[in-house]
Amino acid sequence: MEDQESGRLAGQDLQLSRRSVLRGIGFGAVAAGASGLLAACGSGIKGAGSGAAGTINIGFITPLTGNLAGFASGDQFVLSLVKGTSIYKSGIKIGGKTYKINVNVQDSQSSPTRAAQVAQQLIANHADLILTTSTPETTNPVAAACQKAGTPCLSTVVPWESWYAGLGGNPLKPTTDFKYVSTFFFGLKEFNGTFEPIWNRIHTNKVVACQYPNDADGNAFRYGFEPLIKADGYTVVDGGAYTDLTASFTSMISLFKSKNCEVFSNCPLPPDFNTFWHQASQQGFKPKIATVAKVLLFPADCDALGPALVNNIATDSWWGPYMPYSSSLDGMTAGALATAYQAKSGQQWLQSLGSTYSLFEVAKEALSKVSDPHDKAEVAGALHNVSYSGICGPINFAAGPAPGVGIIRPVGVQWKAQPAGSKYPVEMKVVDNSLNPSVPIGANLVATNA
Amino acid sequence: MTWVNAVIQGVMLGGLYALFACGLSLMFGVMKVINLAHGDLAMVAAYIALGVVTITHVPAVWSFVLVVPIFAALGYVLQRTLLQASLNRGVITTLLVTFGLSVVIENALQQFLSANSRELNIGSLVSDSFSIGSQITIAYLDLAILVVAVAVLLGLQYFLSSSRSGRMIRAVADDREAAQLSGINYRHVFGIATAIAFGTVALAGLAYGMYTQFDPTTGTTALLLYAFEAVVIGGLGSLWGTLAGGILLGVAQQVGAQYHAADQVLAGQLLFLIILVLRPQGITSRRELA
Repeated sequence: MEDQESGRLAGQDLQLSRRSVLRGIGFGAVAAGASGLLAACGSGIKGAGSGAAGTINIGFITPLTGNLAGFASGDQFVLSLVKGTSIYKSGIKIGGKTYKINVNVQDSQSSPTRAAQVAQQLIANHADLILTTSTPETTNPVAAACQKAGTPCLSTVVPWESWYAGLGGNPLKPTTDFKYVSTFFFGLKEFNGTFEPIWNRIHTNKVVACQYPNDADGNAFRYGFEPLIKADGYTVVDGGAYTDLTASFTSMISLFKSKNCEVFSNCPLPPDFNTFWHQASQQGFKPKIATVAKVLLFPADCDALGPALVNNIATDSWWGPYMPYSSSLDGMTAGALATAYQAKSGQQWLQSLGSTYSLFEVAKEALSKVSDPHDKAEVAGALHNVSYSGICGPINFAAGPAPGVGIIRPVGVQWKAQPAGSKYPVEMKVVDNSLNPSVPIGANLVATNA
Repeated sequence: MTWVNAVIQGVMLGGLYALFACGLSLMFGVMKVINLAHGDLAMVAAYIALGVVTITHVPAVWSFVLVVPIFAALGYVLQRTLLQASLNRGVITTLLVTFGLSVVIENALQQFLSANSRELNIGSLVSDSFSIGSQITIAYLDLAILVVAVAVLLGLQYFLSSSRSGRMIRAVADDREAAQLSGINYRHVFGIATAIAFGTVALAGLAYGMYTQFDPTTGTTALLLYAFEAVVIGGLGSLWGTLAGGILLGVAQQVGAQYHAADQVLAGQLLFLIILVLRPQGITSRRELA
């Protein structure tokens, strides 16, 4: 099922979908009703298949339920904030006419099939623009459907290579212009730019243990990331292309121990990381620095392992309250967004608050540049040329590595166990800002195992 | 030495598989019920344990004191109602009913407890281990699971061969009509057997919850297949065989992994296929229960 939107890199079957968490796990048909279709469309037909003249219909597709629901746990909150800002509340003025904006949220249920289905529904109901987020499972089928139907679409929280390859492009020669779709996030180069400076600052023997599974993400790291670090003088010890949901990693761990690996890199499914990390501590494999990808992105991911075992594990962060940025809709700062979320939900802030918020910022930027919001080619063209600064920082879609791709720059973070009695058992703190020096350092970089 | 280590780790892993397969083996041996909801039931046990730990603050390791009896009772009730009703309608019905049960359980867990991963936190025990020489390190948790598996399977074997209830269970498994003519209420006996099987499922669920993290779908995706393989390798309906089958499967996987990480799962499946082709009745040829 996941193969239909898999990405390909340079002829090889390199699939790349870093955050395609828990893919192997079956799709329980979570009772998540296919809520109402897009709001009724009025008459005023203008151009091919447009909605009511006075209303701009925006579809928003996100995995509210299913095994990737963790990514979307702040999305409803962000939406309520966005709906309170002036243009989403009282309309946007385009060409002397005020259009009301109607946002229709649809749940992809973490399933590519379902994501494609709701995208088709939104398109059939004359959506003027579709926004989508959180892993290739959701974003790639939606982007493919939009590109095919000629509906403007904007994605995020998907490595751009995966998104681009999912559309049929070659990320190594990104010249094809998929003119109806855009995305903003980062890719393998930024992973490298985030992790290597962290490794360099810890005194190690430069031998990297790599736990990359035999799946889309694992192979992307194996063929895309390993050459990057080898070129920089690191020795790679690849633990082998193991099958997802492996019950025991002791053989791999004894290999890492025998090669004396002091750096650890991975991109596994969450349960596999849990098993691995338990066994690593049992078997006495204690890498000086562990930089994980795809796992431990959110506080909820840390609950299972517990604060003691996640303490000082490093990963990447594309957004956080430490970002010195503010909303282009109403000036709210990144810090205020996180605080507001924590106050409203009682949950700890998570990275996807910022990326979801920025979807609506970019939508506004594009819409404010067009003469007719129902003209799909014009809206899509405007999306490809947005250059602005919002809550995720500056994004320039015209200057990305591929047409319609905007790059945000992640920073290196470490999970820090908090003293007993703290509000949250672990906190994500910035320890390296090599890619984005404007983000202040929040804590000292400490070896994962001293 | 690394190969010796691989075998030892395989035996440890095999303990987990055998513990999982025990209930499956028992239910098939006595009632010919192939329980497709087996893995999901184990997850329910883990979630109940999580609840017990949260409410009573007992250490997770001791949660079995409450969870196992709860599960045994659940097993008895389920057998006397749903499973017996489906048994009366034939083997295929039972298969469909347990499959349906599996779907219902998974979705109910997702609906009410979310898809977030959980773990039964046992503190530092999860990372503690001891070493034999420089190459072999054994985790206390793995060893404990192995010991529990061996104790449960040997205990059950002893129970079936020596106690009065055990003899009744074997009698019903061997010839239901003859047992009924001798005055045995086979429905009650089935209930007892299921209660025991569910008790072991609960233990397996707890063991897995401490071993690694789980979510509502873990039972089907990560566990059910290996449990079935352990039963088939060992010989359908034989508890001794199940223990041997689980351990063989674990060793095959670990030795495969030592050869190459990509061969870990493959080696287990190959062993399973070879047994199916060469010795379809399983490695223990005597059929002790069926």
